[in-house]
Amino acid sequence: MELFLQTIIDGLLIGGLIIIVGIGFSLCFGVMHIVDFAVGEWVMLGAYAGYLMVRTFGHDPMIYLPVIFLIFFALGWLVYPLIFRAVSGKRHNPVIMGLVFTFGLSIIAKGGALSVWGYHIQSITTWLSGKGISIGVVTVPALRFSGFLFGLVVTLLFMAFLYKTKFGIIIRATAQDRDTANLLGTDVRKVGAFVYSLYAGVTGMSGVLIGALFSIHAAMGAKYATLAFFVVVLAGMGYVPGVLVAALVLGLLQSFFTVYVGGRYTLAALFLVMYGVLLITPKGILRRGI
Amino acid sequence: MKKSILFAVIMILVFMAGSVLAQEKRDFFKVGVVTSLSGELAFGGTVTKRGYDMWEDAVNAAGGIDIGGKKYKVKLVYADDQSTPATAAVGGERLITQEKVDVILGPYASGTTLALAPICEKYKVPHITGSAESPLVWLKKFKYTFGTIPPVNSNARSAIRTLAEEGKPKPQTIAVLGIDDAFSKFAAEAQKLEAEKLGIKVVKYEIVPEGSDYTPSVSAIKALNPDIFAMGNHEKAAIEMIKIAKELKFNPRAYTQHYGMSTPDFRKGLGKDIEYVFGNSVWTETMKLQGTILFKTPKEYGDAIRKKFNVDPDYTEAGCTAAGIAFQEALRAIKAAPPLTEAQKDALIGALEKLNLTTFYGQVKFATEGDFYHSNAGLAPITVQYQNGKLVEVGPPHVRVATMKYPTPPWDKR
Repeated sequence: MELFLQTIIDGLLIGGLIIIVGIGFSLCFGVMHIVDFAVGEWVMLGAYAGYLMVRTFGHDPMIYLPVIFLIFFALGWLVYPLIFRAVSGKRHNPVIMGLVFTFGLSIIAKGGALSVWGYHIQSITTWLSGKGISIGVVTVPALRFSGFLFGLVVTLLFMAFLYKTKFGIIIRATAQDRDTANLLGTDVRKVGAFVYSLYAGVTGMSGVLIGALFSIHAAMGAKYATLAFFVVVLAGMGYVPGVLVAALVLGLLQSFFTVYVGGRYTLAALFLVMYGVLLITPKGILRRGI
Repeated sequence: MKKSILFAVIMILVFMAGSVLAQEKRDFFKVGVVTSLSGELAFGGTVTKRGYDMWEDAVNAAGGIDIGGKKYKVKLVYADDQSTPATAAVGGERLITQEKVDVILGPYASGTTLALAPICEKYKVPHITGSAESPLVWLKKFKYTFGTIPPVNSNARSAIRTLAEEGKPKPQTIAVLGIDDAFSKFAAEAQKLEAEKLGIKVVKYEIVPEGSDYTPSVSAIKALNPDIFAMGNHEKAAIEMIKIAKELKFNPRAYTQHYGMSTPDFRKGLGKDIEYVFGNSVWTETMKLQGTILFKTPKEYGDAIRKKFNVDPDYTEAGCTAAGIAFQEALRAIKAAPPLTEAQKDALIGALEKLNLTTFYGQVKFATEGDFYHSNAGLAPITVQYQNGKLVEVGPPHVRVATMKYPTPPWDKR
């Protein structure tokens, strides 16, 4: 029973981490139809940004989260025109163009990080690192829990923004029908730039949390790209609220499979589930995706 | 027509150039190195590079390798295997066919070594790895491949043995968590087998993919409350597993790891949390060994590494330098001047098999039969533990410099 409860907690907290990586990724796909292969590298760069700030200015990495958001928002704003150029114009298959372009970005970021920061594995610690809250028979790792809360808050903010503000409605309109939104006077390019920057900012922040939980190195992103793909397929491509459910399902699946079946084949099991979902319900488990 | 004539002329020129190169005269040894300078294993690859570079530096500072009274310098030529086996094979082939290296020093990881070894067999080029530890490398009985570090199924047992023999109270149960790669899996298995042999009950044995979230696995192990939590991993997983154990307030009586725990990144990444962690080694800087070739003592070697690279040496660096020394002594024994002919390369295999060196790294003597064919049979594993931030030898008794700290205090009482 104790292990069962702990497995649920572990699963939910793993899910929380997947939310923070998947949420921006999903929005990015939903609005701009860009499958950003470089999602993992935003995580990696965010982690390094946190590491560099701690090394330069000291203090707890968590206090730099807002600054990192702004920095990565700005970076996203700078990178977006390049992506926009790659996916627009007279290109036959913009989705593939976006994929190839961001794949290139990911390789450049990875190689660049290896050249600049080297091959050493870096770590950052926050005041929450290594702390666990005992609730009855289960232990809730404090830093993971804060990541989970962060994921929830970001999702709620995203939803509120998308559904309750005028700009949110414009974004959703653009997601639904880009050409019509454009005809009605929406600056599709600006909307895209804003969404991409938002995504880069949130994903960069998640890097700090992930870096503190695990370890920081140039190749750390690949795993999160895989997870982001999983969660977006499961959630339904581009359906933002689905990310929450899908990420938690994915986290629980991973946790239960590891504990009760065996850790060796967890990734294989996740792939099987993803293929199953794609075959049976291509619009995601909530049937709300594209 | 014109085009095909032009093509034929170019081909003839290429062949002529090739034959001229094949007959090149050299007054130095060209030693190929295939290792991971980029990719996932770049950290370890750089450790091996330091060891190999140290040998090159030291042997050249001594004037070179003495072949029948004349000294020949050594030049290393690197090929980056990008941490993938296929690239290691391609890199090795390029070094042999284009760079025409005399001998090859091998990669950091066992997976890449296993891809390089068949290439060395194909071209009959002697190859010594100063790092690979997977028993798979030796089970294949490659004629041209040797190794200075004993296989992991011999190395990774020491800490478990020390704990079983000297732990008070004696540990009764163990859980083993290993990463699914050619090395770590065997590091985990070796700890499991040793525990079984010594009457410690294995309550969980789990192999997980690299890069997965280890939390559920550690939770499952914690629920079984084993006395020893043993891990088979490289440095990244080594750091993450201890972080997770602490977060989950998991308090076994001992943590053992092979091999990640002895790296500088482990110390830097975990800070005070490295305390009490057990591991295995075949060499430490504080061991009382006396060598005659290039470096006299482990301490002298350690100082040289610190001076050149500003890091503390690990046994992998020492093993790589010893690999160079093995080549040097075998070449000296057969009096082969560069560039080596095919017959000399074959004679070198015989000379390597006959070697019995006493070095700063300990004894280098390659096995010539059995499951550990061509790996170094001259070294015995030792048990190390972090005490006050330093890695110290705690067993077996003849190398001990400090008593082991056991049981490990719970996280909240440290």
